[in-house]
Amino acid sequence: MTILLTAAEQKKPNIWRRARHSFAVARHEPANLIGLVLAIFFAYLILAPVLSILVDSFIVQSGDEARTHQDEGSFTFYYIVRTLYSRISEILLWQPLYNTLAIAASTVVFSMSIGVVLAWLVNRTNMAGRAWFATALIVPFMLPTWTFALAWTTIFKNRTVGGQPGWLESLGITTSNSVAYGYFPIVFILVLHYTPLVILIVGNALRRLDSQMEDSARVLGAPSRTIAFSIVLPLIRPALMSAALLIFADCIGEFAVPYILGLPVRYDTLATGLYRALDTRQNGVAAVIAGVIMIIGVITLLIDVRMMKEARRFVTVGGKGNMDRLRKLGRMRLPASGFAGAFVLIGVVLPLLTLFLSTIMILPGRFTLENFTFDYWIGSNLDTVALRNGILLTPEFWQAAWNTIVIVGSSSMISGVLGLLVGYAVLRCSFKGVGAFLRQITFLPYLVPGIAFAAAFLSLFAVARGPIPALYGTPAILIIALVASKMPFASRSGIAAMTQLGKEPEEAARIAGANWFSRMTKIIIPIQAGPLATGILLPFISGIKGVSLFIILAIPSTDVLTTYSLRLLDYNYDQAANAVVLMIALIAWLGTVLIQKISGTGLAQGLEN
Amino acid sequence: MPTISLTNLTKCYDGNTEPSVDQVSLTVEDGEFMCLLGPSGCGKTTILRMIAGIEHSTSGEIAVDDLVVDSVHQSCFIPPEQRRIGFVFQNYALWPHMTVERNVDFGLRLQKVPAQERKERCLDVMSKLRILEYADRYPSQLSGGQQQRVALARMLAVNPGILLLDEPLSNLDATLRLEMRAELRRLHQTFGTTIIFVSHDQWEAMTLANTIAVMNKGQLQQIGTPDEIYAEPCNRFVAEFIGNPKINIVDLKASAAEQVSLANHIRSRIATNEFTNVCAIRPEEIILTDTANANTLPMTIENIMPTGGSWVIELSFGDDRLFHSTQSRPKWREGEQVNAYLPTLSLHFFDQANNRLVLPETDLDYNHLLLNSASINQKHTNQPLAKQA
Ligand SMILES: Nc1ncnc2c1ncn2[C@@H]1O[C@H](COP(=O)(O)OP(=O)(O)O)[C@@H](O)[C@H]1O
Ligand SMILES: [Mg+2]
Repeated sequence: MTILLTAAEQKKPNIWRRARHSFAVARHEPANLIGLVLAIFFAYLILAPVLSILVDSFIVQSGDEARTHQDEGSFTFYYIVRTLYSRISEILLWQPLYNTLAIAASTVVFSMSIGVVLAWLVNRTNMAGRAWFATALIVPFMLPTWTFALAWTTIFKNRTVGGQPGWLESLGITTSNSVAYGYFPIVFILVLHYTPLVILIVGNALRRLDSQMEDSARVLGAPSRTIAFSIVLPLIRPALMSAALLIFADCIGEFAVPYILGLPVRYDTLATGLYRALDTRQNGVAAVIAGVIMIIGVITLLIDVRMMKEARRFVTVGGKGNMDRLRKLGRMRLPASGFAGAFVLIGVVLPLLTLFLSTIMILPGRFTLENFTFDYWIGSNLDTVALRNGILLTPEFWQAAWNTIVIVGSSSMISGVLGLLVGYAVLRCSFKGVGAFLRQITFLPYLVPGIAFAAAFLSLFAVARGPIPALYGTPAILIIALVASKMPFASRSGIAAMTQLGKEPEEAARIAGANWFSRMTKIIIPIQAGPLATGILLPFISGIKGVSLFIILAIPSTDVLTTYSLRLLDYNYDQAANAVVLMIALIAWLGTVLIQKISGTGLAQGLEN
Repeated sequence: MPTISLTNLTKCYDGNTEPSVDQVSLTVEDGEFMCLLGPSGCGKTTILRMIAGIEHSTSGEIAVDDLVVDSVHQSCFIPPEQRRIGFVFQNYALWPHMTVERNVDFGLRLQKVPAQERKERCLDVMSKLRILEYADRYPSQLSGGQQQRVALARMLAVNPGILLLDEPLSNLDATLRLEMRAELRRLHQTFGTTIIFVSHDQWEAMTLANTIAVMNKGQLQQIGTPDEIYAEPCNRFVAEFIGNPKINIVDLKASAAEQVSLANHIRSRIATNEFTNVCAIRPEEIILTDTANANTLPMTIENIMPTGGSWVIELSFGDDRLFHSTQSRPKWREGEQVNAYLPTLSLHFFDQANNRLVLPETDLDYNHLLLNSASINQKHTNQPLAKQA
């Protein structure tokens, strides 16, 4: 029996009642509490450092009272004027800015040109050894950039810097400064490193492209050139653009390569300039430079957002086409493989081989049998003062390796879990503002290169503030800095994973009577185990390769592999330093393989994120 | 015993200007098998989700067994995990990382039911729903129909007093639909559960439910048994939404007085008042004969469409078009003339606001009951006579 009640106009509940009702609802939605806690946490972890560095550029820093004729902590334009308009602004900002932009632009142009050709060869032609190249061409992206830089110096180093000579030097060939250091090698190396990224992104777009579109053009009688330029190119333009912007942004923040190859000849980029300013205790100037880097980041991001909006207009759902129909290269088949092979040779084989050989040669560049030794790996009682054993027998090496695993490992774990929680909070939180805030704030570190971020952390956490003790010199500052810097990736993948999961599995669990804790432990986390593992391992790998955060925040007691190898380099123990670098590359490689095993999605997708 | 009552229930999602559910009031008694029927987007799922507690109301009240579970007025909200209401999602929402058995016994585990009893209850439900053989499979290894039975079993295992089903038959193919329909009826009888299900398909609603609540644009249109809803649609929307082929609508205001039209014919037969706006007649209630008399209209057969066991015939009268449907093979050809009779008792009238208009009995003319055509009389008395209130 049913009764139809007349829809008598009930009094509209007043605002107060509504608010109390919303509260009653929100009380049962833990995502709200999580969202709020995360928002406060990230405000402190990300927003505070970024703001503090921006503020620092307007505040008289300690030690600058005499120069600014003002008290410490008072407001000043001194640093802005000094960095932007003074007589030394050329050295402080404009030249490094020019160098940075030149490096980034050249890297984009060259890696795009090479990458697009290789992507096409690998994905759309019958080039010999296609399948093998599909993996081999990606390897340079998995190696830390400074592996290449060290290999380069091993070969080309000249007398401008002290220490052990380069191979060419010892063979009697003098290399000019412009080959050994500065713009040319930096761009060369960054191109090697980023070309695989182009291959991944553009390759993906090419694979998704519906070949029926090309076929229709061919049916209409269009020659190959027309098809390539008026059909294929416009369709993969969004992929090209996003690859270009990604590389550009990464190059702006690149620290390690210009640090190794630029500093000896005072070829500064913004990142190394920032480091130099910090190193010489010019914190105010460093803050201004960091601000400039952030502005470039914001501009890049705005362009990216704009282009993505444009690209969405003609997104086509393709992929039905038979993509295995490949272009026959004919006589060009072997030369094509030769080109790809050359890239693998220069990008993988030569650097790794060089580094490896350098670790087993007593004197650089002398290729005689008695010059080879494994002492730098496993020797003992060596005559080097600070390193009496090969690195594999040196406790400091293992300590640094352990530190690396603990610091980078725990921070990746934390950022992976936080990323998932951010995804959870963003999608479930009843307050729209909190979700949007979380989404944006976790993305903020993407705009701030590691070196600027590290500087910000240093300025904020070096001294005790309120309940938080001084963290400088503890592993904690490294861990939280790493967590913060990995949040853009972690939160994006967390949001993506939670979006894909949808609300229903959890709602079904609520209906079944599960409280929040059971829902998390029995439903959400088990279902998300795969994405979570990837979300932990990928930051782990990039964390291991990272330099800039460590070089500023680590001290000898919190030595990690990267700082350990840089210190060995300072002592001119090139062999041992390179051995450590090879170990880092090995760990990074193993981690990548592990991801591939776990996620089963393959390198391409994993790295592209 | 579980009764559900909704009072002026309203839901407006954040960012929407129009409410998705608008002042809905209805009571579902214990053991009832009710269907919320309406076109997609009319707010059916939203109502179910609010009853289950996955969504909260914007105003109004939901009470289960006199216990208010969601009310803005009383600032009270009981979360879904404490409501003990079963809900089967439209796309099942099985947990992909658990086997069928784990899916089914999840709720029992949460209730800390002893292992032995849990096992028994699980086996019982799974065998009743015939999914016992898939106990160790994962949801991705099951077909749609099997997944749905697992989703049902998952809810039935904890024996909720109330079961909500979101479009339970729409994702299934024709044979599975029939099977599942029988399954649900059986379930309702054996478990005695109060069931509310949602459908946009009138066939589903008519064949399953004891009571149907028709909705449109978030508002409740009519509640009644399937027969009541069919025979006495309370407004034009319900009349047009229910019935296949669609009810014929004649706009009584449209044609000029001197024209030969259906509107004029109908107006000549009944004393319409100024509120009468449109007239509707169900296709199967039109009667076609060879013999003409005072109450029949000469019509042309435009089109005969066989629909497998029944036929839909398109008729024309002047500029008007009508559809007639019949279970017996038509003896006419396309293009031929027939005489159509529209029984007065089968005519539904609606006013300007599209609400049902009950014309005073005296205004109706009963001449047709004296018709000498035996076939007409016989045919007509077979029809359920529309009761006049
Ligand atoms: N989460 C939501 N946010 C905003 N609008 C919604 C949401 N869910 C449903 N709606 C809107 O509410 C209306 C009713 O939706 P729903 O209850 O799902 O309809 P039905 O189940 O009857 O097809 C639709 O117009 C839909 O667009
Ligand atoms: Mg629905």
